[in-house]
Order: sequence, then C-alpha cells, then structure tokens
Amino acid sequence: MLWDAWKKGFDAWENATAQYLEQWLRSPLVLEPAGHLLTRASQAKAAADRSAAAFWGMLGLPTKRDQERSLHALNQLQSRLMDLEERLSELEPPGRG
Amino acid sequence: MMAKILSLGRRAARPLPEVGSTPSDAVFAENKWRLLRARPRAEGLAFQTPVLLVPSLINRHYVLDLTRGKSLTSFLVERGHDVFTVDWGTPGDEDRFLGFDDFADRYLGRAVRRTALLAGSERVHLFGYCLGGTLAAIHAALRPDRIQSLLTLAGPVRFHDEGLLSAWTRSPGFDSQAFVAAFGNAPWPLMQAAFQLLRPTLALSKAVHLWHRAGDPTFVDGFLALERWGNDNVSFPGRAFHEYLERLYREDALARGELRVSGERVDLARVRCPTLAVTFEHDNIVPWKSAAALLDLVGAAERERLHLPGGHVGALVSSAAHKQLWPRLSEFWVKHEGGAARQKTDRGRAAR
Repeated sequence: MLWDAWKKGFDAWENATAQYLEQWLRSPLVLEPAGHLLTRASQAKAAADRSAAAFWGMLGLPTKRDQERSLHALNQLQSRLMDLEERLSELEPPGRG
Repeated sequence: MMAKILSLGRRAARPLPEVGSTPSDAVFAENKWRLLRARPRAEGLAFQTPVLLVPSLINRHYVLDLTRGKSLTSFLVERGHDVFTVDWGTPGDEDRFLGFDDFADRYLGRAVRRTALLAGSERVHLFGYCLGGTLAAIHAALRPDRIQSLLTLAGPVRFHDEGLLSAWTRSPGFDSQAFVAAFGNAPWPLMQAAFQLLRPTLALSKAVHLWHRAGDPTFVDGFLALERWGNDNVSFPGRAFHEYLERLYREDALARGELRVSGERVDLARVRCPTLAVTFEHDNIVPWKSAAALLDLVGAAERERLHLPGGHVGALVSSAAHKQLWPRLSEFWVKHEGGAARQKTDRGRAAR
C-alpha cells in the first residue's frame, strides 16, 4: 500500500523531471556549445592522430589509416568477386553447377 | 518485500536468460554481415515467399529473436514462415569507409537475392526495424523487382520531426565530418550515452519498475534479456554515420526525394509493392510521424498503417506484441503471399 503510493509519486516526479530535462536538452543554449565542444574535441583528436601517423610514416611504417584502407580494399574486392559469381551463375544454363 | 528480495536472489543464482536462441544457420557471409536462416518448424513451411528481417545497423539483430516468449522470429517460424535475418555483425575500424551505397544497395541487395535463391522464390517480403526500416525502404525504391511486400517497423523516413534526436543532429555546432575524421566509426559508448540522454531518468525509472515487479520471474527474465540487448551495441560505420546525419537528418533528403545511393536518386514512389508501416505512439527515438511518412511517399496502391501504443523497443517485445503486433505482421505477409502459399498447410489444417 505504502509502496504503491510511493510508486505513483515517483512516476509523476519522473515524468515531470524527464519533460523538464528534455526542454533543456532541446535548447540551443545547451546544444550549440555542446556541439562545438564535440567538434573541437574531434579536431584535436584528429590532429593528434595525424601527428602520430606522420611519426610512424617517417619510420617507414604503415599507419593505422593505411591498414584500414588496405583491409577495406580487400573487402571491396571480395564483394566484387561475389558480384561476378552471381552474374556467372545467372548466365549458366539451368541444370548445370 | 522479503519475497521480492528472495525472488531476485533466486534469479541471480541462475544464468542469464538466453538471447537469440531460435535455431538458425548462417547461410551466407560477406565482410562482417551474415544471413541467418531460422530452421523451419517440424511440420514444414506454410508459405513459399520468405521473410527477410533487417535490423538497425547500430543494435544487435537479436532484438527480433530476444528470448523465449519474446521472439518475433520464433513466432513467425511457428506460423510457418521461412525466416531470414540480416546480422550486420560488428564493424571493424576498416569499415569506416562503408556508406549507404554498401548497406542499402550492395549488402541488402545480396541478402535479398540470396534469400530468394535459397528459398526457391522469385521475391521476398522485406521487413525493416528502426534504421533497418529506412534501409529496407531505400532498397525497395532502388531495386523493387524482387520485393513482394515492404513492412517497416518504427522505420524513420521523414527526419525533420519534433524528436530530440532530430534537434541534436541538426544542431549547427556539430560537425559530423570532423567527428568521423577523428573517430572513424561513431563509437558505440558515445551513441549509447546519447540514447540514454533522450530520457535521463530512464535508468532510475527502470530500477524502480524492476523492484515493483521483482516477484514476477517472467518479467524479470524479459527485463534482463532486454537490458542485455540494450547494452550490447555496435559502432556506426563512419561514412554511413556521416551520411545518416547530413543527408537524412539535416537535409531530410529521403523524404524530399533527393537522396542518392549508388549514384541513383532514391524515389520512394517507385515502391509499388504492398506496404505496411508500423508506428508506436510513445516512440521517443523514431516519432510516429517520421515513420508514418513512408505511406505518403510510396507509390503502392495497397498501403496500410498500424499504430500501436508503446515505445520503440518495448512495443516490439512486450507480451502485448505477441497478441497484437506479431499476428498482424504475419497476416500482412499471408495476405500478400501472391497466391503461392503452400497448399499442404491448408490441407493439414482442414484435416485436423
């Protein structure tokens, strides 16, 4: 009984608080600075990554981005081969293979 | 109170509920994604046209096969459907270069063709949930030939809506290109934090609700399975994330008919197959108007909307879904089977 009354009160509080917070989270006063902060943090990380990549490059080693590009190219190649396999199987007369 | 403590204690002593446990086989794999085929029921299939389930890119596929009694996949198998599911897998760092061309056209196209081939059918019923619904709609518009019907469940189409996600992604301070250049894929912890911010009091509310129903072991099992899924997220491939924010959220290019995928304009009016859009009244991730907009844009003669109470995830896996939502999905596919239904089931039913 006591719990049920408390739960009703909690639900009302939770709903009102969520709506209040949503107004804040939708406000340009919060969104714009938060967006700029995330963008600046991203740019700082990208600059740090570029410096690290330049260092590894000077040592003649592949960078993380080089490895990502190579792996991606292999995946794309695999996809193209699958495309070709599909086309070949469409060209095969029925009853074969 | 003591009974609740004891019930939770007993639950804690048992292993976590199994998720994604409907027996299925991986019938195809490419890069990180797999095509899963659920094993048919013992009596065999009742319908010729297979159903292809497409989940969101940023959550695990097993929300469609959550746990016993909360599995759409299992329900459809019991009804005699041939059920295939796309499991997008976990993107690697190298998948930062994958965009909508890859997911909505190349991979989904392959999934549709493989599904049709393996099921021995010309066409498939295409189903998409959340972002999977957006991908399915794009694919059905680009390559309509093999699509028997399109069903989207809380699949956003018009992105300029009143939702919080729409406000955040359109905030002028945020540069998605800089974000992707720095992080590659959009990191899942950051995205999960953003989703939690949609309703910051939700964690507390869930804890109170769990305690409220702690004496109900079925509820607790379902709660744990859903929490397990909710905390098992994947990162969003970078280029796709950038396109999602810029083209879809900021430019609303899909609804405006200006989205280009694989060099082609995505014109939803090219979707002429029967189309059903399921929307949820209290969906705070995909507002129902955003999902319902699909029906204003497709060129299908037969278009239906099913609007149900509930939220984005809860409405899909709740006990009410078993009685209301899932049967309606199956009925839609049966209605649009195209006269290819396997007669043996009807004969079997008549004989019973």
